[in-house]
Amino acid sequence: MKVGLPKGLLYYRYHPFFKTFFEELGAELITSEDTNKKVMDAGIRCCTSEACLPIKIFHGHVDALKNQCDLMVVPRIMKVSNNEYICPHLCSLPEMVVHSMDHLPPVTYQSLYFNSQKQLFHWAKDVGKLITPKRSAIEIAFNHALDRQANYKRTIDQSQYSYKILLVGHDYNLYDKYVNMNIIRKLNDLNLGVISSDSIGNGILNKYIKKLPRKPFWYYYRQAYGSAAFLIEKGEIDGIIFISCFSCGIDAVITEAIKDDMSSLPLLLVKLDEHSGDAGLDTRLEAFSDMLARSNTHHKKRRI
Amino acid sequence: MYYLGIDIGSVSTDFVVLNKDLEVEDHLYLNTQGLPMKAVQEGLKLLKDKYLNEAINAVGTTGSGRKIIATVVGADSVKNEITAHAVAALHINPSVKTILEIGGQDSKIIILKDGIVTDFAMNTVCAAGTGSFLDRQAQRLGIPINQLGDYALKANNVVRIAGRCAVFAESDMIHKQQMGYDTPSIVKGLCDALVRNYLSNIAKGKDISAPIFFQGGVAANKGIKNAFEEALHTQVLVPEHYNVMGAIGAAILAKEALERSGGTTKFKGFDLEAAHLSTRGFECSDCSNQCEVIVIEENGVIIGYYGDRCGKWLHSVKMPS
Repeated sequence: MKVGLPKGLLYYRYHPFFKTFFEELGAELITSEDTNKKVMDAGIRCCTSEACLPIKIFHGHVDALKNQCDLMVVPRIMKVSNNEYICPHLCSLPEMVVHSMDHLPPVTYQSLYFNSQKQLFHWAKDVGKLITPKRSAIEIAFNHALDRQANYKRTIDQSQYSYKILLVGHDYNLYDKYVNMNIIRKLNDLNLGVISSDSIGNGILNKYIKKLPRKPFWYYYRQAYGSAAFLIEKGEIDGIIFISCFSCGIDAVITEAIKDDMSSLPLLLVKLDEHSGDAGLDTRLEAFSDMLARSNTHHKKRRI
Repeated sequence: MYYLGIDIGSVSTDFVVLNKDLEVEDHLYLNTQGLPMKAVQEGLKLLKDKYLNEAINAVGTTGSGRKIIATVVGADSVKNEITAHAVAALHINPSVKTILEIGGQDSKIIILKDGIVTDFAMNTVCAAGTGSFLDRQAQRLGIPINQLGDYALKANNVVRIAGRCAVFAESDMIHKQQMGYDTPSIVKGLCDALVRNYLSNIAKGKDISAPIFFQGGVAANKGIKNAFEEALHTQVLVPEHYNVMGAIGAAILAKEALERSGGTTKFKGFDLEAAHLSTRGFECSDCSNQCEVIVIEENGVIIGYYGDRCGKWLHSVKMPS
């Protein structure tokens, strides 16, 4: 059986889990290629126009795979941490995809709770059944997938540059180079090193989250607030850049909250959409780097 | 001894010549009309008779077309608009604390402290709250854009126009016209809407303190200046050369860059017209991104590439296959 895994949304976070699980079950896993113009155009064509760019791009990846596989993985990710919510679009992803596209192979409708191993196994059991009747094989594949996921760390921490920036954003905005116009390379070219908001461990985040008057509602607020508060206290960063996609309701709340919380450091909000000309992004990044460099001639530099 | 600054914006291309004391000797404000190369050639032609090539000590470019034009004219510094605007404002008044800048497609706010940019913001993907918003509504009302401000000052009524989006504003404006409001009041409503939009989007959460400079093409509009003063309850200063501040900054930055490096200018001279420049685009088919790459040619020889995501054209001068 051929299983299609679209390279969009939280693929960037959970691909080791999905890959290991399906391959251990003996399925042939097909992943779409990196996001490109063709994928984006296909996504925009079939997706509802109100959705954000990453959702549209996910549709494009599904489109690229739909004639090559017998089962399409459309992860309905409900939660990734206890008592916190992720994104309503991610919770309704299978319905969005099925109702906006034709000629699809069967898709996975089951819910994924990455905060609970027990609930996550329900997903594995139900989806695994479509590939093999052997419950033991599903359990083994599931456990291997969990291990592989636990050992997987994809974070960015560059210290060889004269300034360091905390790059805040959802996984798919941080790691999809097409969507973010290769922002990390652009920052490096301006001599700015990057730490990504997902590189700070949960233990540290928990400690700093306690400073908030109430627990975060959105998972990404925990990540943004916790990483920024920790790195500012350590004196590790010179500024914060927040990458967000146009029309993201969650980021509309988080960016405002972070702006208020972290007013001691320069913060730049980068909004991404279908624009392919990067002159606007270049201008903002260059001005941000100039601001840091020019203020540095008057203030003492904090690091080597 | 002169310094040349060029600001290639989406709506206008501005030239400034500064003398050795960094005073404005000459300035030009030309329409870009989507053809930056042509606007630059025209500007250089206008300056050609007044200045010798050798008299130009440094050249700087800024604006959204800064990179492409830097290659063409031989610029010594290529800087973004925010830095250029801040440098120019600080040159005029070293104590300036806030710069409101509204251009054709961009609007920005720059916050300074002790002569250093400490914060800035630009409009995101939408151009509501910029000059193009006013342009469009002025067209709709049949008023030349340069008279819009005078109309607003004649208003004796307050009309509220929805300013969140140019499309909403237009339907609201038509509605208000049909309800019988007079044109000056509607124009004032538009100015208020733009300012409201600017303050709640771009300037939200920013500490706006005096002295405040208002620059960019839209600063010509007295109605907007008034609306800002009413909303901020403080005086807003429009510098003498408000519409070419970016170019002034570019010229100063070019001077600074050459003083730091100790080199001489790369300026190719005013005779660009004879150089016969042309641009063409092609779709690179080397990967699935299919970037639209721009090629600049001078007398049939390729002098630069722009627009590729991977940078392989940008950094190499080779013929497209």
